[in-house]
Amino acid sequence: MPGGYVGKIGVIDLTEGSIRIEETSEILGKKYLGGKGYALALLYEHAKDLEEKGKALSDLNPLGPDNAIVFATGPATGVPGFPSPGRYHVMALRSPLTGSIGSANSGGEWGPFLKFAGFDMLFIKGAADSPVYISVVDGCIEICDASDYWGKNVFDTDDLLKKEVGGKNVSVACIGPAGENLVPMANIVNDKHRAAGRTGLGAVMGSKFLKAIVVSGSESVPVADMEKFREASREALEKERKNSVTAEGLPTYGTAILINVLNNAGALPFKNWQSGYNPEADKISGETLTKNYLVKKRPCWGCNIACGRVSSVKTGPYQILLTEGPEYESIWALGNTTGVMDLEAITKANHLCNEFGLDPISTGSTIAAAMELRQRGLIKDEYLHGMDLSFGNAATLVESIWRIAYKTGFGKYMALGSKRLCEIFGAPELSMSVKGLEMPAYDPRGVKGMGLNYATSNRGGCHVTGYTVSPEILGIPTKIDPLTIEGKAQWVKTFQDFACVVNSTVNCLFTTFALSVADYANLLSAVTGWNLTEEEIMRIGERIYNLERLIMSKFGFTDKDDTLPPRLTSEPMPEGPAKGQVVELEQMKKEYYRLRGWVNGIPTPEKLKELEIEL
Amino acid sequence: MVLIITLYFYITKISKVCVGEMVSVKVLLFAIFREKYGIKETELEFDGTLNGFLKALGEKISPKLVEDIYDPESKYIKNNLIVMVNGRNVKDIKGELKFNNGDTVAIFPPVAGG
Repeated sequence: MPGGYVGKIGVIDLTEGSIRIEETSEILGKKYLGGKGYALALLYEHAKDLEEKGKALSDLNPLGPDNAIVFATGPATGVPGFPSPGRYHVMALRSPLTGSIGSANSGGEWGPFLKFAGFDMLFIKGAADSPVYISVVDGCIEICDASDYWGKNVFDTDDLLKKEVGGKNVSVACIGPAGENLVPMANIVNDKHRAAGRTGLGAVMGSKFLKAIVVSGSESVPVADMEKFREASREALEKERKNSVTAEGLPTYGTAILINVLNNAGALPFKNWQSGYNPEADKISGETLTKNYLVKKRPCWGCNIACGRVSSVKTGPYQILLTEGPEYESIWALGNTTGVMDLEAITKANHLCNEFGLDPISTGSTIAAAMELRQRGLIKDEYLHGMDLSFGNAATLVESIWRIAYKTGFGKYMALGSKRLCEIFGAPELSMSVKGLEMPAYDPRGVKGMGLNYATSNRGGCHVTGYTVSPEILGIPTKIDPLTIEGKAQWVKTFQDFACVVNSTVNCLFTTFALSVADYANLLSAVTGWNLTEEEIMRIGERIYNLERLIMSKFGFTDKDDTLPPRLTSEPMPEGPAKGQVVELEQMKKEYYRLRGWVNGIPTPEKLKELEIEL
Repeated sequence: MVLIITLYFYITKISKVCVGEMVSVKVLLFAIFREKYGIKETELEFDGTLNGFLKALGEKISPKLVEDIYDPESKYIKNNLIVMVNGRNVKDIKGELKFNNGDTVAIFPPVAGG
């Protein structure tokens, strides 16, 4: 294998209890890089195997043994000097929350440490018949009994397994009670506070009786052309050091600085998206977090940006002496959209999400949906057993986290996610989700490109699939008007394709505030030894996005699923700077499909052939 | 007293001004600007022009803040900042930048997240 890879993939069948070690393929590496792209290629092969066995993909149970999950690094992961190389990507053939592809990304140390343990990726299928964990240490993979760990929370599991496995560069990715209880919003948490958060991948692990994956080792990642890489790295890191966002904004205030930005733009969803402006948002802003609760920064492995926060709530009912976060998204989901203006309660709720293994975005959004159902009189008293499900109730927010993780009391309804919750209580339109995935903290009535991105995002309501907030609100790389729709289809397509490149590289999307496609081409060429141009890089991104869409189409997804909640397309924003705005989705979608070369939301055979996607 | 209050509300609701008239706007500082100048929010009175705004901002808060946000070469707000008037980024406002009575101006340094 070329540089950037350690050259091995672990293939684990938990039903059979078998482990096979395969070579990483240079052919697939050139076509899909690593991370998300390479994992999709593996999952596509798995899907074809299932079809050959006569199993219809449309019937595939996301929580059944036929579903597969891939933990994947890329050629950047674990390479010192590559900007922000401390991440990994997790993909599942099918998400229990959305029925589409499962996809999530996490930082911390686990990704690099998997490579140091000797593996680029782990492909896991089947299901064990009792709790297990996978140990990956110094080139060896072992399936171990996890009976003693089943039932434990994330923090205890992390501590105990690190102690048991030991070794150099040890890191644990595990599920908490939410994953064990098959909550479709359950995430996978590594290094205690970093999470592959979205699309319910923790429940996929739980369904396989897989409690954790522990990695440890000291292998280094080869670099093909060290001289060229040093030069490319020096240039890229210098750009980050000179960039006011990556050098000052993110390190100083973390991601939560966006609370006031988006609120002032009238695009910070408030009380389940009933408005985009919250007059009290400054109480839960990044400025307030930094001033009152920040202890220190915590970077992911090898990262110079260091946006991660270590926080402390020293006294009061929501006291938590040491925790990590909360981030912009978790503050918004647990606070702004639930109307809870208490940053201490939000910090505690975020801590509990990490402890129990829950995605704070989907969890907070589902609580907010329940609050609006209650506001409208659609949830009767008898369901609540005394719980006050009003917007702004901090105690209810914190209580709801553990109720959801353990599916107890009204938590058993909220644990279904907002889509199913709102269907059960007769108002499906109140679920602020796309394809069943709760949307994050940008109201597209005030950031129109994000409306198109949410609707066409393969994994559902997701911001990082195509973050047009960058040009529309932040002015990076150039400023475009957030309230117009002209040209947005091209921006969305470009951002979606480039995000696929980053998530397959695998490093951090935040580097793109300072680095361009050309910088990625230089860095990746030096690491791998391949001569990658900007055009080839973007073609790889487009190939990945199309392959993902192709797989989804086999589950039955079409253009009809590329939609938004009716609130965003037909209820004008009631107040604030975006007052009167709706998302003109259909106009943007038409142009987007034309640019994509898709018919009815599905890539044509010609497009697949053009991108060299083999059927 | 009642007359003064009535007059105040009347004035703050005016959205049109003429040459020579003064406007009153609310200015909000965020992130490092809030820390550096120790101010979250203030009111400015000036003639409704960008030059007038900058002059009043320099006098009320600090000339250094004007240096922080104004690019003398382009004669406009620095390109990498996020400065909004009533939620609209000044870079999205077509034509000459003018301020009206009751406007809110939000000033952010270069920031991002996700």
